[in-house]
Amino acid sequence: MDRALWISRTGLEAQQTKMAVISNNLANVSTTGFKKGRAVFEDLIYQNVRQAGGQTSENTYLPSGLMLGSGARTVATEKLHTQGNTIQTENAYDLAIMGRGFFQILMPDGGIAYSRDGGFKVDAQGALVTSSGHPLQPAIQTPPNALSVTVGDDGVVTATVPGSVGAVQLGNIQLADFVNPSGLQPVGQNLFKQTVASGPPLPGVPSADGLGNLLQGSLESSNVNVAAELVDMIETQRAYEMNSKCVQAVDGMLRFITNNL
Amino acid sequence: MDRMIYIGMSGAKEAMLAQSVNANNLANISTAGFRADLAQFRSQPLFGPGLPSRAFGMAESPGVDFSPGGFEATGRSLDIAVEGEGWIAVQARDGKEAYTRAGNMRVGPDGVMVTGSGYPVMTDGGALSIPPAESMSVGADGLVTIRPLGQSAAALAQVGRIKLVKPDFRSFVKGDDGLFRAKSGEPLPADGNLRLQSGVIEHSNVNVVDAMVNMITASRNYELHVKSMKAAEENDQASDTILRIS
Repeated sequence: MDRALWISRTGLEAQQTKMAVISNNLANVSTTGFKKGRAVFEDLIYQNVRQAGGQTSENTYLPSGLMLGSGARTVATEKLHTQGNTIQTENAYDLAIMGRGFFQILMPDGGIAYSRDGGFKVDAQGALVTSSGHPLQPAIQTPPNALSVTVGDDGVVTATVPGSVGAVQLGNIQLADFVNPSGLQPVGQNLFKQTVASGPPLPGVPSADGLGNLLQGSLESSNVNVAAELVDMIETQRAYEMNSKCVQAVDGMLRFITNNL
Repeated sequence: MDRMIYIGMSGAKEAMLAQSVNANNLANISTAGFRADLAQFRSQPLFGPGLPSRAFGMAESPGVDFSPGGFEATGRSLDIAVEGEGWIAVQARDGKEAYTRAGNMRVGPDGVMVTGSGYPVMTDGGALSIPPAESMSVGADGLVTIRPLGQSAAALAQVGRIKLVKPDFRSFVKGDDGLFRAKSGEPLPADGNLRLQSGVIEHSNVNVVDAMVNMITASRNYELHVKSMKAAEENDQASDTILRIS
């Protein structure tokens, strides 16, 4: 069959992928600490059907040849690590990172995952855990009789307990930073894993060394901009339609020749 | 068979090639910095026995539409768009310098700044390497400034300047990897007057209305050629009938 059909098919596939990325962004518009994705496309290899500069006779040359591109493909879906909005919740265990850095979360397999979702809870043993129950690293243990827990800008966690005048220090929350956060691999549950592309984690104290501040009583909302996604969606839908029109046109051409000859 | 049918046949074949060029433009509507290919036909007169009345059509892509694509503000510091007629120098797979308008940059695992397709971005002296940094910004003249890890905002470091060139479009061609090169194959000199914008990405310059019209033109063109093949066939049948002894 004709190559125009295959070329249009690559265009349809590219737009379909883009739509999947947009749907995922829109589905996660209320997910705490979600970072929106973006599909990156490139043009496929070109075929040289007639070489420019080829000789048409002994003394004459083709001034321009015929190069046929073979369509488009998705090279990457990258995450855009821009800051999301801050939502005030007044919950003592809700922490938002204002700036760079990720919370370090201990996974059941002993590895560390990274997250921007600061909606922590206290488990039965008093440890700070994520909504999925994975503990924060380094571990923070809250006393069972704590009246209030305070998290400072720099990650110092203190609690007031009955019968004590001063606050009790519970520990320090550390953040980890990456040279190339876009290189982190999203694994679901608001978690990211380190890859070769992201570089090694650079742990540090919040608000020092370029890491962000911690803000207690707030959550970082998703950085998806609904208006931008909807515009992208319209654009993708129309681009899909154009490509399918092209399939239709080529189909029409082929049908015409089979019906008429 | 009459020779006419071959003219119709080659015309239909070339109309299909033009449709392929157009299909490729449409497939790349969402490719950042893509430049649309143009298709045109040229008559190739054929000399043989009899009068030189036969001329075959030949499709060719005489060049590329160099008009700028739409700019979209993304707010991402590594998305860059070149203003005017500037092009970004990158290193092609063969190690030589080539040029692109795709400004969706990222930093690779080895710290080298690469385009969305993975081509390293060039400075005047080789690929642009970014040391571990807390923040990075690209200036209007292509100068990349970083704040090194653990340093204060007062200790900014310049790591290199993205090479921007201003090509002569008459001798600037698209290669089979989609990157552009000078016809001579020589690297172009950097132009210090070009400006780029950070946080903006340039889209494909495919004009969908043009592409749709071209699509209809190619389809109708094809049908006309098929009609002329049909006419040639009917002529043959007619002469057949005259000669038939009933």
